[in-house]
Amino acid sequence: MRNALQGSIGIVARNGETALAADLSNLPLLIDGLTVSYGEKPAIFSIDASFAAGRMIAIVGPNGAGKSTLIKAALGIVPRLSGTVRVFGQPIEQVRGRMAYVPQRASVDWDFPARVVDVVMMGLYRTLGFLRFAGTKERSTALACLDRVGMADFAERQIGQLSGGQQQRVFLARALAQDADLYLLDEPLAGVDAATERTIMDVLKSLKTEGRTVICVHHDLSTVERYFDDVLLINVRKIAEGPVASTFTDRNLQKTYGGRLAGAHIEQLRLPVE
Amino acid sequence: MEGFLSALLLQSGYNAALVGIGAALLGIAAGGTGTFIFLRKRSLVSDAAAHATLPGICLAFMAMVAFGGDGRNLTGLMIGSAASAAVALVLVDWISRETRLPEDAAIGAVLSVFFGFGIVLMTVIQTMTSGRQAGLESFLLGSTAGMLFNEAVTIAIAGAVAGLLLLLLHRRMTLVAFDPEFAATTGVDVRSTDLATMGLVLVVTVIGLKVVGLVLIVAMLIIPAVAARFWTERVDRLVAIAAVIGGVSGYTGAAASAAYPNVPTGAIIVLISFGLFAVSLAFAPVRGVVASLYRHVRFQRQVHLRQGLLAVARGEPIFDGLTLKVLRFFGHIRADGVATLSGRAAAAKALRDEARWEVARETHQEDMSVARFDGLTAIEKVFTPDEIAELDRRIGDRIGVVA
Amino acid sequence: MHTSARGWTKRIWIYAVAFCLATGVLLSTDRDTVAGAVSGRIKVVATTSMIADAASAIGGERVEVTALMGPGIDPHTYRQTRSDIVALVKADVVFWNGLYLEAQLEEFLVDLGKRKRVFAVGEAVPPDQLISHKTYAGRFDPHVWMDPDRWRHVVNSVRDRLIAVSPDDEALFQANADAYLKRIAEIGVYARQALASVREGQRVLLTAHDAFNYFGKSYGYEVIGIQGISTESEAGLSRIRAIVEDIVARKISAVFVETSVADRNVRAVIEGAAARGHKVSIGGELFSDAMGKPGTYEGTYVGMIDHNVTTITRALGGSAPERGMAGLLTVSG
Repeated sequence: MRNALQGSIGIVARNGETALAADLSNLPLLIDGLTVSYGEKPAIFSIDASFAAGRMIAIVGPNGAGKSTLIKAALGIVPRLSGTVRVFGQPIEQVRGRMAYVPQRASVDWDFPARVVDVVMMGLYRTLGFLRFAGTKERSTALACLDRVGMADFAERQIGQLSGGQQQRVFLARALAQDADLYLLDEPLAGVDAATERTIMDVLKSLKTEGRTVICVHHDLSTVERYFDDVLLINVRKIAEGPVASTFTDRNLQKTYGGRLAGAHIEQLRLPVE
Repeated sequence: MEGFLSALLLQSGYNAALVGIGAALLGIAAGGTGTFIFLRKRSLVSDAAAHATLPGICLAFMAMVAFGGDGRNLTGLMIGSAASAAVALVLVDWISRETRLPEDAAIGAVLSVFFGFGIVLMTVIQTMTSGRQAGLESFLLGSTAGMLFNEAVTIAIAGAVAGLLLLLLHRRMTLVAFDPEFAATTGVDVRSTDLATMGLVLVVTVIGLKVVGLVLIVAMLIIPAVAARFWTERVDRLVAIAAVIGGVSGYTGAAASAAYPNVPTGAIIVLISFGLFAVSLAFAPVRGVVASLYRHVRFQRQVHLRQGLLAVARGEPIFDGLTLKVLRFFGHIRADGVATLSGRAAAAKALRDEARWEVARETHQEDMSVARFDGLTAIEKVFTPDEIAELDRRIGDRIGVVA
Repeated sequence: MHTSARGWTKRIWIYAVAFCLATGVLLSTDRDTVAGAVSGRIKVVATTSMIADAASAIGGERVEVTALMGPGIDPHTYRQTRSDIVALVKADVVFWNGLYLEAQLEEFLVDLGKRKRVFAVGEAVPPDQLISHKTYAGRFDPHVWMDPDRWRHVVNSVRDRLIAVSPDDEALFQANADAYLKRIAEIGVYARQALASVREGQRVLLTAHDAFNYFGKSYGYEVIGIQGISTESEAGLSRIRAIVEDIVARKISAVFVETSVADRNVRAVIEGAAARGHKVSIGGELFSDAMGKPGTYEGTYVGMIDHNVTTITRALGGSAPERGMAGLLTVSG
């Protein structure tokens, strides 16, 4: 049984186990006792989780588990019922410049009058403030980000004319333009074509190489082990967190998904994928 | 007609010029502001705000009279109208957020309650013995004919303030309209931005009361933005075009009202803006109906041409009337259906391109320009000559022929 | 038969509701309309204050007069309120102007006239003395009170109707009416004298709406109203421009606002003329469709005419005492 802490700096296991973390106060994301509810039902309940720098972390769980809610609470865009969120040791409002969000594609009306390059430049608005106009510098930054996701040719295209995968790439390019240290993505690979999936994962890996932290709500259990270093399993409550190898186990998956995953199916997930 | 032209050139006298400029400024401000509430999908809130000004006007009148002043003081009435409209907007917002009522139901409820209350107050005022209440109902449909200099100045100042706010906030408002969650993550205060937008709506509504009246001001906020949408896919141009449409409607409406008797200004302004909307709907090159039809027909032609050429190349009989017509039109077949020389050449090329596309689809799975692999775009536009040569080579490999 | 407790409750509710309804119906029956004679003071309801003034003067102690439209109220756009309807229904006799002055009340009053004593006293003016409507064929200008000579007919009609309601008071009503008509005749004479003192070229009366046609016809004045005979129509820009040009061309120096109509159009005309270098001032505020505050001299018919005549005369360069015919006018500071 591999030590849950082996090979990962800064992962803190609660429930009485000793903390072996490096400097806690500088974790990209530290969540303590987080509860969020819409109306009377809690969407997530008392979640403790910590995310280390330079890692790719997947958030996994069944439908309605609160994965999107967790991300949004981490970004401070849904109100917390209780608990704290610390980003790089500080409250969210003070470090927004170091966070980037890639929402689900469905959250936006794609008939909005905007070109691809306009959407990417939105990632730069924060730097422009009230008075400055977006100029050539911003435009070339946007084009560079588009190039990273393979969409440079589409800069002038209206966003409503894009395919699902292309839309996802544009969102990612916008996040790249923000030049953040912590990236939170909500199901970035849902409903995209194979080429787009490869491109997105390449970009995310390059972010990790640069020392940034990438957290994804991930929908596809069969690719968790291939793409991610750590995983957080939740179903309203936290089930488990830690490196994929030791945390993404049969038992944990059974606990997360209840009876929804047949035993054989889980076996399939655990087989090494080429 | 000369009367209309001279009015357009500000040659019809002082009053007409004043109304023309005032209406134009209102149109510009309304067009710009209306664009952002249109993008935010909250256009109808402006209707609630407009109708909710009525009780405020009446209460302001009653208050001013109670304190011994002149009930018809314009500044006081405007403050009153803004106050009650603001309360209505807050109420709509609260109802949408805190109860399960959808926003349009909230708007409808607030609009009718406030307006009804206003009508009741007007009946009460009607019987007030202090008198001098004549003219309050002119706020309903506006009364531009009697526009005064200080009113035009007020409109100009309010319009300038609105323009400044739009300039400062346009990026935030665009961002909030497109993706409010993302906006929140970048530190934009979505609530304040929405409030500022609503504040702009209030300003435009209040200055529009005297020009077009509270019943019609909503048209000036909605129609220019919707009409402009047909012309562009970019927000900055959308705002500009909407402002222009609003300004032009205001200006020409005022000119028409000056030139022809018995033409109420507010109504004619709205009718002109609707006319511009109809023109945009039909003829705008980007999203207009005529342009769409044209593109559709052209696309249909392309498809039929290609299918026809492929059929010719494969020696298949063609039965479709449109296909035959298109082939004949381009001179690829003769009247009796036999392919001409140029037709056979074109058919051969179509067949070869089809093979090229097939190879390209296999080998370029990850290339983004795959999206244009619909076979209808000329292959020379997508690939360079050496790439095409490479495709030909692969085809040759498959069928065992050196290309 | 066995009725459960629930069944009893239901029955009691039904009986109670039926009882209330029946009582309500009985109580609301207007007993006065049934019989012909009236005991106590005659309840008179008049629409305009001018008519109410006449009714009060003629009826004296025998009548209790209510005017629906007070000072500053525009009769062209006035809509009846609930309390108005109650008063009208309870009245012994209703007087209104007719001639389509009370445009929004017309239908209701005509309908009421089928069941009660409702009289359009303005229509007592002989047709040959009425001015036709400029726009609508078959209609007349309703502002008949502006000419005291024509108003006489209306006063007579009120007197006759009151006598019909209470024949016992005929002598009283007759005497009161005579006194009232005498004062109207006086103001008529005063008006003619004062208005004649204005120079011919200056006899132009420009007001917010076309309420003064009878005035103009009777005293030889040209009357221009920015809005038409009814204030319901909006004055267009072209009308404003036409009036400005007219003023400038003829060098008219004074225009007039009205108490019951917004003064914005008049001020716009003044600004328009000023832009062409011609100074026009507001000659004064006239009582067009409503009188002054009740209890004041201007709140009576004679006072209203006095005020109008004096104001117009003085503004247009004629001579008239500042305090009017009998020195009773209040002078604005």
